[in-house]
Amino acid sequence: MKRSEKAQKVVDGFQESVKLRQMLLSLAGCAHCGLCNDSCHYYLATGDPEMTPAAKSDKIRRLYKYHNDRLGRIFPWWVGGETLKTDEDLEELKDIVYGSCTMCRRCTFNCPFGIDTALLMRTARGLITAQGVAPEGILSVMKDQWEIGNQMGVTPKDYIETLEWLEEEVQDELPDFKVPIDKEGADIVYVINPREVKYAPQSLMAAFKIFHLAGENWTMPSQGWDNTNFGLFSGDNKLGAHMGNLAFNQAKKLGVKKMVISECGHGFRSTKWESPNWAKANPLPFEIESILETMVRYVNQGRIVLDRTRNKEPVTYHDPCNLSRSAGITEEPRFLLKRSCMDFREMYPNRQDSFCCTGGGGAMSMSEYASKRIEVGRIKADQIRATGAKHVATACHNCEDGLSDLVKHYKLGVTVKNVCEFVADACALPEEKRKLVSMPIADIAKGKKILVIDDQPDVVQYLEAFLKDQGFSVVIAMNGAQGLAKAKQERPDLITLDITMPGKSGIEVFTALRKDPDTKDIPVFIITGVMNFRQLMYYREVMPPDAYMEKPIDTEALLLNLRRLLDERKHGSKPADTANMTAV
Amino acid sequence: MPIFEHGSVKVEVDEDGFMQNPEEWTEEVAAALATTEGVDELGEEHWKVIHFLRDYYQKFGVAPMIRKLCKETGFKLKKIYELFPSGPAKGACKVAGLAKPTGCV
Repeated sequence: MKRSEKAQKVVDGFQESVKLRQMLLSLAGCAHCGLCNDSCHYYLATGDPEMTPAAKSDKIRRLYKYHNDRLGRIFPWWVGGETLKTDEDLEELKDIVYGSCTMCRRCTFNCPFGIDTALLMRTARGLITAQGVAPEGILSVMKDQWEIGNQMGVTPKDYIETLEWLEEEVQDELPDFKVPIDKEGADIVYVINPREVKYAPQSLMAAFKIFHLAGENWTMPSQGWDNTNFGLFSGDNKLGAHMGNLAFNQAKKLGVKKMVISECGHGFRSTKWESPNWAKANPLPFEIESILETMVRYVNQGRIVLDRTRNKEPVTYHDPCNLSRSAGITEEPRFLLKRSCMDFREMYPNRQDSFCCTGGGGAMSMSEYASKRIEVGRIKADQIRATGAKHVATACHNCEDGLSDLVKHYKLGVTVKNVCEFVADACALPEEKRKLVSMPIADIAKGKKILVIDDQPDVVQYLEAFLKDQGFSVVIAMNGAQGLAKAKQERPDLITLDITMPGKSGIEVFTALRKDPDTKDIPVFIITGVMNFRQLMYYREVMPPDAYMEKPIDTEALLLNLRRLLDERKHGSKPADTANMTAV
Repeated sequence: MPIFEHGSVKVEVDEDGFMQNPEEWTEEVAAALATTEGVDELGEEHWKVIHFLRDYYQKFGVAPMIRKLCKETGFKLKKIYELFPSGPAKGACKVAGLAKPTGCV
């Protein structure tokens, strides 16, 4: 039988894709050992052997066996080789690669060979989508991204008017708030998920509030504002590059130092890790970070002050696949939620082992597979129920909608919100912050000992006088070796540490403090004139510092940080939970 | 395609529960669909939202921006969520008989 035109193109394209090393490994490497079975929510919920990751990827692997395997090329049936012949074959493949896998990559973490099932799925999606074989919802979103530049077809006028409207809404709480648009000289540009302007702007308003309270020099872009990228879901690298370029070009034009991505799992992954490659845009003249990282920085710098008593009900966190498994962001949301909520509860399994919200891989835009998606979502629903939480925080809009469907179907009785919404609710407003700063710290300071490690006499003199005025007792060390000895001998309640010192540098001192069982739990507050030292700290194998500040010392931020660190120590929520935090 | 049935109402819906043929929409259908979105009874304020959504959809073929919905009905965002707990996209649009919004929702 002659192959259909479409099937021929898919087979030809497949031969091209096999040239990629990771692809080849994933095709040839599977031993069908079954270790991935229990990692897949499709299999766990249905018990259907056809739904195991190995069986699903075999639908693609059979092509390799037929066309590339040495034995398979002669006796394909012997090795399970099969080829695609008809348009119906492509439709069948569509039901597997689009309808039975959310590309969450949980199986990859459970595979001894590191087989990347999501890569296989994405590649196959790309091949059939190029022939027009894809769920209608995916095609229509791709069209909007190509033609209008965002996934919900929002016109430039609607976008700008929405920002202006949100400015008014935020002014209800913060009268002097403004939304800067295309502000030249801004340090950061904020790119978002179109869902935030089209339907659900709560997260956008929360982010606006946080930027404002942190005194950030920020801007919204007038174009290139969509951080999502259906190039990732559809396997279309050209669309991937197009969406990347839209955002990158605008950020370049504005000359920002940083691009901050709103809470969107695949948006962050594609903008930070994939689009620069698709668009061949490396190196980019700015950094890219998730707003989760931005918010952690604000807290650590004392730029926002959180009052956890404002979120009293129990909250749990759902790890979005693309952030936890594909981008390494797991600790930042926990850091923020523990400081914004009274009762934070882990969901199990979590972090890299988290199960998919069921809406990953673009599944939210494929209505034809919705009932299956909700059926296999039972796994996630059971986990949420087991936490007893009243609210689920997550850092992805797709997850938010996927989980909301589960909440409705399985009657979980919880609300689902983005992390920044909890943070914004917990943020002290300017006058409250001022009150906190001017509140006497004497009660907290009483009986507390601070060790100041710094080689500059003027800084030491200033800190000593200032801290003593507040009621702390102060111990001084003028170099690293002395600092380590005094930390051990005096057991202070807090250590302030400089980075650039003769002899042992602050980084060596910090590592030694964290490694010594006697001093490892003492909060360390870095006060330094060295810019960009954070990478040096965060890339070490020890817990990151508890706070940091750049010189010249700002007394307001200094006081807020001291208050926060001592308060955390008292309440036993020392930021030791930030072990794996990425550089901020 | 699944069929949604409630009382005397019987309409074709997609797998997400959105109407397959928006022209079959009636107020009775709306009331029936509302029960799936946590709204047991449709009051005057609900209808204001529903009618605006329908008119807009019939005119432009897409769901309006949330800004337009708030401005035109005079309701604050919070109010929209009080009326339709599952939100404007999946709650209000579904009840108003719109097709499922595209994209990450």
